[in-house]
Amino acid sequence: MILRYDIPGTIEKQITLSENEKIYYAVPIDIDANGKWTGDSYLIVTTLKIYICNTSVTDVLIINELENAKAEACVGGGILSVKKDGRHMVLAHYSSRHLARYAYVARGINILISGRFEEVISHEYERICPNCGRVIPGTKTCPKCSGEGRFLGVFLKMAKPHKKQFFGIFFLMIMAAVTTLLNPEVQKHLINNVLEGGGDMATALRFLALMFLLSAGIVIVNVMKSNASARLGSRIASDLRGQLFEKYQKLPLSFINDRRPGELLNRITQDTRYISDFMADVFCNLFAILFIFIWDVIFMLVLNTKLALITFILVPVVSIIMISFRKTMGRIFHLQYKKNDDVSSDLQDVISGMRVVKTYGKEKDESERFKRVAGDFALIQKRNERFWAGFDLIVSFLMGLGVVVVVYFGGLDVLGGSMSAGELYQFITYTLLLFQYVGWLGRLPREITRLTSSLERIYDILAQDVEEEDKDLKEFDIRGEITFDHATFGYKSYQPVLEDINAVIKPGEMIGIVGASGTGKSTLINLLMRLYEIDDGRILVDGTDMKDISQKSYHSQLGVVLQETFLFSGTILDNIKFSKPDASALEIIKAAKLANAHDFITRLPDGYNTYVGEKGYTLSGGERQRIAIARAILPNPNILILDEATASLDTENEFMIQKALERLTKGKTTFAIAHRLSTLKNADRIMVIDGHHIAEIGTHSELLERKGIYYNLYNAQIQT
Amino acid sequence: MAENTLNIYEKKAEEMTRMNMIGKEAVFEQTDGGFLSLDADGVHYDRVKIVRLFPFSDADKYLSVREYEGDGREIGIIEDLDEMPEGSKQAIEHQLMLTYFTPVISKIFSIKDEYGYAYFHVMTDKGECRFAINMGSNAVSKLSDTRLIIMDVDENRFEIRDVESLSQKERRMLDMFL
Repeated sequence: MILRYDIPGTIEKQITLSENEKIYYAVPIDIDANGKWTGDSYLIVTTLKIYICNTSVTDVLIINELENAKAEACVGGGILSVKKDGRHMVLAHYSSRHLARYAYVARGINILISGRFEEVISHEYERICPNCGRVIPGTKTCPKCSGEGRFLGVFLKMAKPHKKQFFGIFFLMIMAAVTTLLNPEVQKHLINNVLEGGGDMATALRFLALMFLLSAGIVIVNVMKSNASARLGSRIASDLRGQLFEKYQKLPLSFINDRRPGELLNRITQDTRYISDFMADVFCNLFAILFIFIWDVIFMLVLNTKLALITFILVPVVSIIMISFRKTMGRIFHLQYKKNDDVSSDLQDVISGMRVVKTYGKEKDESERFKRVAGDFALIQKRNERFWAGFDLIVSFLMGLGVVVVVYFGGLDVLGGSMSAGELYQFITYTLLLFQYVGWLGRLPREITRLTSSLERIYDILAQDVEEEDKDLKEFDIRGEITFDHATFGYKSYQPVLEDINAVIKPGEMIGIVGASGTGKSTLINLLMRLYEIDDGRILVDGTDMKDISQKSYHSQLGVVLQETFLFSGTILDNIKFSKPDASALEIIKAAKLANAHDFITRLPDGYNTYVGEKGYTLSGGERQRIAIARAILPNPNILILDEATASLDTENEFMIQKALERLTKGKTTFAIAHRLSTLKNADRIMVIDGHHIAEIGTHSELLERKGIYYNLYNAQIQT
Repeated sequence: MAENTLNIYEKKAEEMTRMNMIGKEAVFEQTDGGFLSLDADGVHYDRVKIVRLFPFSDADKYLSVREYEGDGREIGIIEDLDEMPEGSKQAIEHQLMLTYFTPVISKIFSIKDEYGYAYFHVMTDKGECRFAINMGSNAVSKLSDTRLIIMDVDENRFEIRDVESLSQKERRMLDMFL
């Protein structure tokens, strides 16, 4: 994301930089003081000052005199505010387009205020191309601006590993074109030599046989061609899917972080599916139709130049009419589709809310409402069907009209003797072919661009440089000392979830984490699990920055039990072994015993081989949880993370699992999130998270003495 | 000691459920920094936030006035902005201008769709502007049969108050998104 725009020369001249002063950030202000759009204002941050400019500099602030800066997200936009002499000041007002940008700038200003001179750089991509104003489909550069002929480039890249199949299909396409074009030629001879020229039955049969062979050939070649294309398409798609999946696992988390999760999923599912669809529906005909089209035109010109030229005038006219009809049809059917959506979502709403509807006695209102929606739908449907019925007729009529024109002028030529009847017949067939393919070719650019952007999105990922693990990552046996050093993190750049977290956790210590929902408890744990990388500050493990520890080594020494247990489809054995595939049977049994799982597993008919997961044996919540605990402790980790591990269980189960956990947490650095404070009675220290910060940290009795948040929480819970 | 805590919670609960109305006697002022201060019931607030409770159906009625510091406790509710004294009203309006930005579309010059995105060129009450929406997502949502909210790819929000007031041509362009 651009944090330093090119400033117009007129403004640049007005800013005189002192020695060592550098411009760090320059971002547009797109809303003016009256709340209207504006296009010529900028906020410029140098290492020493902040300038507000619209055509000329209107305000200058000295960074040293500020207390802090904040990008406040509002509805449909945001404001950058600074605090000076204890008072808040509005510096800039901007729309949502610059929301993330200003969050980075605010972070940058705060770093400068604190006396450091690091420049904040954003790795997020721009959403709109600053050059052409088009939306960038999730890639680094705008596909439109980054060069012409791009399609061929990416297409060849995709085709390269499958050269052989491509040539095979190419050959089939030419065959299809040749057979299609040859048929009218034979028909011409049939008419000229046999029907008109008084040929005998034998010649007629010979021609008929030839025609039959050609027709059969067309069918066979087309089937083979479609088959081969579909097969190649799904093979390419599955190759790319595999490559993408592999790449995702290697990519740095920051890359995944910068993207919406759905987007990455879409690249694996939708973009690759689009490629296989394209291969099956478009590519398989692409060259065949182009080939036919070109030869069709040439044949027509050779047969009768005058007639061909007349037809060529006619074809665009008819095509334009057809295209505009199609557009209208697209629109009205889109409306119908939307209304249909309304109807079904309404229906689902009412049915799933039936209890509420009945208890409030609203059956009648609801059915009235539904009748109205359904009536609207029926009306649109009726209208569209009528249009559709007419459309087909109009298309045939227009094409028929074209043929009538050809027959009229061609007929004159035949009567005049400059054209044979067979040639006229052949010409009409070519005309029909032309009509048939013009529409198809009209849609082609759109399909190609869609394919290009799908491919671009895929190669954008595949082309990412992965920070190879070899950059001197450390592997060592973790003792379990964790240090948070000014750790700051937010899922969205403009919304910090945790700010400036500082704490030192000794090896073997059990830390209970409490706080209201949404304060960042789970986020803290996500950071510990290294699912995300922190934005600022450091997290140290045994004195080493977490970033410098090999992920594999770190994760193998980490045990995690979450509230919602996920068991893979497979046996109990597979599920426990997931954390340490080379574990021996005895190790697994020991882990299960520690987790209080062994006994219930023994009672199952298939023992450890019981199949669980989506289609398997249904385990109760407590049983699943205990398997998850066994999985977590199997590698004997030195750091344990428990995120509400027992919250979804009944009292008895909770008690059992608590017992299991008590045994486990001894001597291991443990982080446990819990709502019920009683489950934290073994914790050495309690950490209270509130307002993005650690509000309180200390032993149970220390915190009670403080009479703060924990004190209140604790008392409220023992009383209820 | 424990009873004390219970009292704290009860007090909190009571505070949360109490309806505090802010009347004409409260004084809102625009601060030098461009924000909003409040003097009410003998208390001075350096900076308060204003939240529209019914941003679509009743934008200028029922405004929640909240503290800026801490977790944004509600100070009270203004029932009707029009009934506030002129000075306060202007200061509040300025604050709302800063925190709510939803341009209202008055004219559609063109809508061009290109490869999954639709590019709008429109006139709004905040001036002329261009924006793009993702056609695959539910970028256009209906507040009522004739009132639309359009969310662009940057998550800016645009409003069309009454589709019927648009010309036939403009409506036809919009049809694709309804």
